[in-house]
Amino acid sequence: MTDNVTHVDLNALAELKEVMEEEFTILLETYLNDSLDRIEQLKSAYAAGDADAFSRAAHSFKGSSNNLGVVLLAQYCQEAETQSKGGDLSQGQQLIEKIENEFEIVTQQLQAHLGL
Amino acid sequence: MSNESLKILIADDNDTDRMILQAIVKRQGHQVVAARDGAEAVEKFRETAPQIVLLDALMPRMDGFEAAEIIKKMAGEELVPIIFLTSLTDAESLARCVDAGGDDFLSKPYNQIILQAKINAFNRMRIMHSTLQEQRDQIAENNEHLLQEQQVAKTVFDNVAHMGCLHARNIKHLLSPLSVFNGDVLLACQKPSGGMHVLLGDFTGHGLPAAIGAMPLAEIFYGMTNKGFNMTDVLREINQKLKQILPVGFFCCSCMIDLDFENQDIEVWIGGLPDAILYRSSGEIIRIKSNHLPLGVLSTERFKTETYQYEMGMGDRFYMWSDGIIESRNISGDMFGESRVLDLFDRNHVPEQLFGEIQSSVQQFIGEKEYDDDLTMVEVAMMPESELGLEGSQVGKSALIGPVNWHFTYEMRNETLREFNPLPLLLHVIMEVPGLRTFSGQVYTMLAELMSNALEHGVLGLDSKMKETPAGFAAYYMSRAERLKDFSQGWIRVSVDHQPLEKGGVLMVRVEDSGEGFDYEKFESKSNLNKGYCGRGIPLIGNLCRRVEYLGKGNIVEVEFEWRPE
Repeated sequence: MTDNVTHVDLNALAELKEVMEEEFTILLETYLNDSLDRIEQLKSAYAAGDADAFSRAAHSFKGSSNNLGVVLLAQYCQEAETQSKGGDLSQGQQLIEKIENEFEIVTQQLQAHLGL
Repeated sequence: MSNESLKILIADDNDTDRMILQAIVKRQGHQVVAARDGAEAVEKFRETAPQIVLLDALMPRMDGFEAAEIIKKMAGEELVPIIFLTSLTDAESLARCVDAGGDDFLSKPYNQIILQAKINAFNRMRIMHSTLQEQRDQIAENNEHLLQEQQVAKTVFDNVAHMGCLHARNIKHLLSPLSVFNGDVLLACQKPSGGMHVLLGDFTGHGLPAAIGAMPLAEIFYGMTNKGFNMTDVLREINQKLKQILPVGFFCCSCMIDLDFENQDIEVWIGGLPDAILYRSSGEIIRIKSNHLPLGVLSTERFKTETYQYEMGMGDRFYMWSDGIIESRNISGDMFGESRVLDLFDRNHVPEQLFGEIQSSVQQFIGEKEYDDDLTMVEVAMMPESELGLEGSQVGKSALIGPVNWHFTYEMRNETLREFNPLPLLLHVIMEVPGLRTFSGQVYTMLAELMSNALEHGVLGLDSKMKETPAGFAAYYMSRAERLKDFSQGWIRVSVDHQPLEKGGVLMVRVEDSGEGFDYEKFESKSNLNKGYCGRGIPLIGNLCRRVEYLGKGNIVEVEFEWRPE
């Protein structure tokens, strides 16, 4: 990656590694798996026109991303949550795409971090 | 920092969040119980009773708000801190957390240091809360226990104290209506020989310490008064008892009076109470100052029984009070004071109303404020004994079982005759006959006459004719005192015999003395039995007894007193 944007806060990740000890790998894997579920939830909520479900999935995704230092993705999730909260899904498609693209990058970085 | 290991419930539906939190909490040395949603959290709480709960706000099945409410209800009075895990930041959502019973928030991303600080702070709060609750329960329990004990003490004391004759028509009294025993004691009892003892006591302290002293005080007061002891003997005994049982610093400020309705006089002993007042129907006011230490302070050897003696005409009134009246305070803290009391006496026109005037004046003075001391006050008026409204003795009527068929002889010799008054002892034995106490006045009169005849005319050989004139009367008592002082040899033998009848019984008293005797046949033939001072005793006995007989050389007299219960 050549951009200067921070996708994953490495300091936060290092701290987390210290806290989680041997469970760190499991934590990251769980995060990646759960995130795929969240993205599916966002997609199906958008398809069903369910702004409320969309907002809740975004909220939850934001929380876990923040906890892992996945800051940019958390920021996108925040945008998605804020917009949909008032029932507005007009930007839904673009938001899902933004989130999916960012998640790609995050996945690569985290897997690299794990040495996979 | 607390090193205590706690059991902490973590409920979060987000796996990664829960894993991180669990790892942080475990690293801090605590035990973790994990749940994936609100319903599971409630279930785990019930099963494992954790000390602190970390709850995610938004969860499937049951959210954190609902779970928090249920958990708080289940915890009851115990403080189980609930910390909400949330990335919600709007005020409304945070308010919901608080409404649901949340104690704090923890926002994502989790910070180890903050979480640890919160856990420690809440653990301290939890421990403090449970300590407070234990102490509160302990205090409530102790307090209830204390009140119960005081009520028992007051009930017992009331039972003892109310045997007396406070309801006599010549007595008006005021006692604070406090439910616990307040340390003030008011006792009144008729004497077997007629007359009345009244005692007002103010114990140091309230509640149990005061009640403890009040029991023997009342017992001794009633017991000894009923048995014919005089006031100073009663006081001496009470003082000795209180000195013996009360700790240092506990005593009883008291005033006791002996009211003689027949001779219309009053004898007053006062120790440690405010001035008592004798208020004559003429308007004269006599202040009677305490000249003794309270009861229970001095040892028997140092205890003094000097009394004040006053004539007391019909309608004269005697007042005594505890310091509660004089020291009662109004809202601004001023004392009622002695001068206000004396003013009331000065301004009074109708003596019958004075008691009420004092009472209402004090109550007006202190206003709506609660009594902070004990307002105890008594008025005792002189009136004919027959108008007191007291029928028979108020004491000890219940004993229907006891000795009814017995005989004893008691012989007093030499110095014992000079120094010892046997009447209380004799009466004590005789009054054990159930039902006879109602006649204790008659029995006392009879014994007193027989004993004084035996001593004065028999043993001391005084001539009763001396008492025929007022001047001779005085001379008689002077030579009685002299002869008694010099007297060294002689005896009086009293034999008392009681036999039951179907109802009541017959009391036979035989008194024999070491004297010369007298020509009783000549005496009995005389017609002047009812005249003069000298004949006063024997006709009195003659009226009381079914048989009065002199025997031997006139040094033996036998009387029979027949009694029937009313």
